[in-house]
Amino acid sequence: MKIFKFIVSKIFLRKTILGIGMILLLCMANYITFTAARSILSTFQGYQETKYINQEGVYIANLDPDSHMDMNIIGENGSQAVYDYLNNNFNYAFYTDGFIVSVPNIDDMEISLGYMNEEYYKLNQFELSQGTDLDFDYQFGEEIPVLIGKGLSKTYPVGSTIKIEESVLGRSITLKVQGVLKQNVYHANYYALNSKTYYNFSILFPVNEAFINHANIDLQLNGLMDVIILQTSKEEIADLSEVIKDNLGLTFNFFSQKENYDYFNEYYLHTLKIISITTFILLIVITCLSIWNVLVSVRLMLKDFTINLLVGLSYSKLKKIFYGYFGILSFINLTVIFIVTAFNRYGCWLRKDATFATYGLFGLIGMDWLALLLVVASDIIIGVIVVESMLWKTKKIPISLGVLQ
Amino acid sequence: MTKIIDLSVKEKIYKSKKSQISILNDFRLEVAAGEKIAIVGESGVGKSSLLNIIGLIDRNYNGEYTLLGSLTNNLHTSELAQWRNQTIGFVLQESALINSMTVEDNIKLPLLYAGSGKKEFKPEDFESVINAIGIKPILKKKPLECSGGEKARAVFARGIIMKPQIILADEPTASLDMENRERIVTLLFKMNKEFNTTIITVTHDLEIANRHDRVIHLERSK
Repeated sequence: MKIFKFIVSKIFLRKTILGIGMILLLCMANYITFTAARSILSTFQGYQETKYINQEGVYIANLDPDSHMDMNIIGENGSQAVYDYLNNNFNYAFYTDGFIVSVPNIDDMEISLGYMNEEYYKLNQFELSQGTDLDFDYQFGEEIPVLIGKGLSKTYPVGSTIKIEESVLGRSITLKVQGVLKQNVYHANYYALNSKTYYNFSILFPVNEAFINHANIDLQLNGLMDVIILQTSKEEIADLSEVIKDNLGLTFNFFSQKENYDYFNEYYLHTLKIISITTFILLIVITCLSIWNVLVSVRLMLKDFTINLLVGLSYSKLKKIFYGYFGILSFINLTVIFIVTAFNRYGCWLRKDATFATYGLFGLIGMDWLALLLVVASDIIIGVIVVESMLWKTKKIPISLGVLQ
Repeated sequence: MTKIIDLSVKEKIYKSKKSQISILNDFRLEVAAGEKIAIVGESGVGKSSLLNIIGLIDRNYNGEYTLLGSLTNNLHTSELAQWRNQTIGFVLQESALINSMTVEDNIKLPLLYAGSGKKEFKPEDFESVINAIGIKPILKKKPLECSGGEKARAVFARGIIMKPQIILADEPTASLDMENRERIVTLLFKMNKEFNTTIITVTHDLEIANRHDRVIHLERSK
């Protein structure tokens, strides 16, 4: 340890190019790897969640970008007529969220409300840590059974009730906690798979026909924007489009399984490929720069190495010192990434941001740890290449008395 | 007298991209304990290469080398390093100091690698070396703040701090004035006289060479 400390403090750190240069290069490599890995993992998770869309007969609604939404024309009767048509003719998965309410809780978080019908609930197979599955056959007007996120379970255990001023129903209602979701259950955005909403501080409502019928137009319209029609055909969808057009004056596109599949492959797979290839190329460039950096450093330190080798340092010990030094640089960088990531996650709690607040070991969620693990793996590969290059260069210029003359 | 070095080199080859040079062809050297040997010859004949081999720095040659009765050719690099630390002292030109360290730290550098070595080192050993060489006033200075003579003596002090059985001196006086040159040579011979240390000096200076027990003239291989 004394020798390691001596070589690092008296030789390595005296050569700025090795000390600062290597830290910066490794920092770049680690940051790029971490960001890319997390982005890929997050997109993959989102893709897994939305896999159920990739079935024959599934169509997803999407408001045509050229369709103008005029709220003066759109009325509750029109949207109700659309839902009546949907209820009578289709199996559909309904989901909408983003409604924020204030509900007292020990973390003082704003609470996000999510609404889903039974089809959507079945498709997503939400994992619970406590309680039982959502019941959709409740009597409207009585207590509504709900699922809550882990963050709320400390204040509202299973069986307890929550009173809220519900905006989509426009009245005060009582909710009964039927189950608690596992920590960090999320919902990925269909159009940005790596963007997620976490349910740790959410209340999930079971939506049935009666609920929709009593809800205001905001819920009805929002739900229609992403409605997923199941077990249907192109002809039936065309009829639905007509009904929407007639009643709401809006043009909706309904994308089929093939269109969705093509979209995912063209957009996400392509994006993932670009991210992977770009990351790989950048890592190769950084590794080459690191090799150049250490080869220059070895030339600058050759006299110091020679003197140390003459008085008792061995190549095997030098190799260990090189690896130890690289390990320390890597550890420093990993610590920085860890702190920045943990701080970002913690920032969501400080901002009381209910949709991004997550639970995890030291603040990091599984995806972060996996990305860090990939950074460690890339550091090991870069480390072996760089250190072996250093040793190769050191041995290539024979340590001899001539070096000192 | 006890044979301390028994070296037999068939050839040592230096390769470059365009050519290869063979030196020390069929060279043999036996050195007794306490002997003072000077190695002379024109540039490029292999004087420093010979010192590299004797000093266990270079093993890339065709031949056999027995040091203090042990065949060194197959030793592990860590064993060679221990030999260099405990048995061999290198006295080099005055530039062979690490500029980022004080003179004292430079001199004590071999102690860092002594670890759990066989030799016991006492603080008074350091004091006696410093006093004998007369460099106490410059111990806290950095090499760049010292004169050439002071640096040469510091390098000498580092070379003898472990009380080695063999001192390998590579042009130790090459860039020194007459006064400092004499000082270094006197110190070398004092070590030989007091501790029976074997001295092998590579030099271009024939006057210094002739003050050794034996002078070996190296010639270019044909």
